[in-house]
Amino acid sequence: MPEKTLSRAAMLMALLVLAVIGSWELYLRWTGLPLDYDDGKELWSDKRAKVYDDPGKTTVFIGSSRIKFDLDIDTWKKMTGREAVQLSIVGSTPMPILRDLGNDTNFRGKLVVDVTEPLFFNNDSAEVQKPDLYVAYYKHRTPAQRASFELNHLLESRLLFLDQESFSLNAELDKKVKLPNRPGVFVFPDFPDDFGRTTFQRQSYMTDKFVADTTLQHQVQNIWLFLMHSGGHDAAPKEDPVPIVLRSVQNAVNKIRARGGEVVFTRTPSSGPFRAGEEHVFPRAAMWDPLLAMTHSTGFYFADNPATAHFTCPEWSHLSPSDATLYTKALINELPPSFVTSK
Amino acid sequence: MVFNSYTFIAFFIIILILHNLPFSWKVKKINLLLASYVFYAAWNPPFILLLWLSTVVDYFVGKALYTQTNKHKKRGLLVISLIGNLGMLCFFKYGSFLLDNFVHLVQLLGFHYQPAKPNIILPAGISFYTFTTLCYTIDMYKKESRPVRSLLDFSLFVTFFPHLVAGPIVRPPQLVPQFETPRTASRKQLMEGLFLLSVGLFMKVVLADGMLADPADAVFNSKDVLPGLDAWAGSLAFAGQIFFDFAGYSTCAIGVALCLGFVLPQNFRFPYAATSLSDFWRRWHITLSSWLRDYLYIPLGGNRQGRWRTYLNLMITMLLGGLWHGANWTFVAWGGLHGLYLWVEKFFRDRKEKASPMPVTTTALVLPAYGRKTGVFVSGTTGELIEEPVPHAALKVMPQQGIFNTRLKGLPYALLVFFLVNITWVFFRAGTFAQAGHLLTSMFGFSHGAHPLLKTLPMVKVGVVVVLLLMTQWLLRNTKLTDVAYRLPWWLTGLIWSLMVILLILSQESSGSFIYFQF
Repeated sequence: MPEKTLSRAAMLMALLVLAVIGSWELYLRWTGLPLDYDDGKELWSDKRAKVYDDPGKTTVFIGSSRIKFDLDIDTWKKMTGREAVQLSIVGSTPMPILRDLGNDTNFRGKLVVDVTEPLFFNNDSAEVQKPDLYVAYYKHRTPAQRASFELNHLLESRLLFLDQESFSLNAELDKKVKLPNRPGVFVFPDFPDDFGRTTFQRQSYMTDKFVADTTLQHQVQNIWLFLMHSGGHDAAPKEDPVPIVLRSVQNAVNKIRARGGEVVFTRTPSSGPFRAGEEHVFPRAAMWDPLLAMTHSTGFYFADNPATAHFTCPEWSHLSPSDATLYTKALINELPPSFVTSK
Repeated sequence: MVFNSYTFIAFFIIILILHNLPFSWKVKKINLLLASYVFYAAWNPPFILLLWLSTVVDYFVGKALYTQTNKHKKRGLLVISLIGNLGMLCFFKYGSFLLDNFVHLVQLLGFHYQPAKPNIILPAGISFYTFTTLCYTIDMYKKESRPVRSLLDFSLFVTFFPHLVAGPIVRPPQLVPQFETPRTASRKQLMEGLFLLSVGLFMKVVLADGMLADPADAVFNSKDVLPGLDAWAGSLAFAGQIFFDFAGYSTCAIGVALCLGFVLPQNFRFPYAATSLSDFWRRWHITLSSWLRDYLYIPLGGNRQGRWRTYLNLMITMLLGGLWHGANWTFVAWGGLHGLYLWVEKFFRDRKEKASPMPVTTTALVLPAYGRKTGVFVSGTTGELIEEPVPHAALKVMPQQGIFNTRLKGLPYALLVFFLVNITWVFFRAGTFAQAGHLLTSMFGFSHGAHPLLKTLPMVKVGVVVVLLLMTQWLLRNTKLTDVAYRLPWWLTGLIWSLMVILLILSQESSGSFIYFQF
């Protein structure tokens, strides 16, 4: 067999791969999209490992997507001199993370728990699945997985096309091949790429295009309406989840405090029909107030502070980057000194 | 460490450089051995101790077995090796399973016994390296090959990282001679190795993980009754996924070894183009089926003790082969179903043989067809593969034609075999019999009022990938991937290779484990 056949083919392969991937990268840079990090279990685990850093210089945040958008980590660092470890996970309850931190005898830090009632007071498997998976991955990640994460970080920080959620083969197929589905198939609507980009610190932010484009905002608003009307995918719970969640929170918070850790709660802004729906289904007096009372905690509810009460979320649920900066400043003023002063 | 990870790419580049530096052969072997330990420890460092224990015990026991002349002492040594290897496998892999079954049995007898649930982690690849070391000591007992000269060579034989975690399961004569003389890859081997590595990663990352894993998971994890279309799409997706995942791993392993100048045996030969169930087992996980044949089926008596005993031996082999895959009765059922298929095939073959004086060609059973050890062995000097003798039956169906098999004769049999194998995968993938029953019920149309689950795009992906898979397997059933790469015009090979690598890069699937790691 001619030995040169594969050598020539290999050279052609190398040239074509460089040309195609290089062109794709250049095209994406030309579109002006900012760099985005895959917000998966690997990045989450990297941050999870930082909860043991000096509690005098580190504050840990858990919650759903709102605190990921609303906490501007650069502003936080600049004003407090402290690190912000962002462990919130989009579209899920932070309860598995809170329980994990409660059971982790090495965790003695400062913890901010953000409450998005529809997700927080929810025991559905769909809301718990992702954080459970992330916690399990963190606990069992292998040395090889850690090394791969570091190498991936080197590449991901330099190459725009390495963005699984937006530019992977499947993401592209999903975006470009629109086929009608059979009646009865559950189809979750797509979020626009510009809605949520992620930094290496796991902060989410809307692009300038999203903030300016009301069509994109309406697209996301329609997703919230769809979720509100579909009422989740799981069957109705047999037992009211609120008391169960409250007991679970109380238990975890007591464990953390018993070790010298501190816990506070926040309720980040929402607006429009989303806010109205939340107030109706999850009234403050039945959710937020008992939560603080049962855990003997202080909390920062955005509507209580004139600096944050007026915020309007572009898509009713998350703040724009400029408002996130303002919200972060207000949050720093409201949190106990031990959470915001660097020792 | 998995092949489809950045860590492995960095690791492999370092190893390739080290292996091509002007060190002595002994230093290169030590490098490879240390690299293999790093490869294994990168998953879970403490389990490296088990690997050492298995290596050291079997090296010395193997040597003693070969030289020992006292029959009783020899048997004693063999028992030590069997207890050591199988005991370790039983504890880590089957400990919880055995305890669960014991508890069920005790409760059936009316006793209340509820022990604490053991928290046993399965060391990666334990089933594979246990079989590798077991065949060595059994060969030493039977004096079928000579003892490995040094502990270094034996350790490298057991631990050599390309095959360590998920095979191919190698025999001493296949690999040990390659450690005896210095070797680095020729340019041809390096190119072939890189080509196979690309193909293997493409199969795993793009096809198994990217196209098929999600629909298969969605269907098998569904608690609802599903329409037939969804159930079939899910089971076909898994049939494709398990092939691309495992054959992808084997192809990577063979490619990686070849880049270093070592030849590993073939593990897959287009199994979904098999025209009979026995043909399937000559093509699927070849190194395991030949291991089971040589170290289980033949010692049980093979086909030498009458027809009924042959049936029994066949079933025992398939049941234990099923159990090897996992500590669950569903795997036993998977093996049992394959055993049943082979029974039926053998029954018809025997009848046909009785009726016709001519040898039957297409339904010869793989296991009884062999009365001696065969396999793919490697010349210690040239590094060329010495293929196992192709059974007479298989030769008959191999047409004398071009590289692509364009004949349609046998295709209906191949489709029937694929259909039957697809049914067995339901037991393989389902966690429980209830889940398997649930899916089979849906597949065969007993699912009135079921809600559709899969969107159209994933179903199209499954359909396209599975049809292309079957077509490719049929076209290439009598050849090898590297032969195809050489026979096509170089630019076409280059284009196909480019497409695979581009899709591999663009798919961006995370470095998920290979399915066979859990076995």
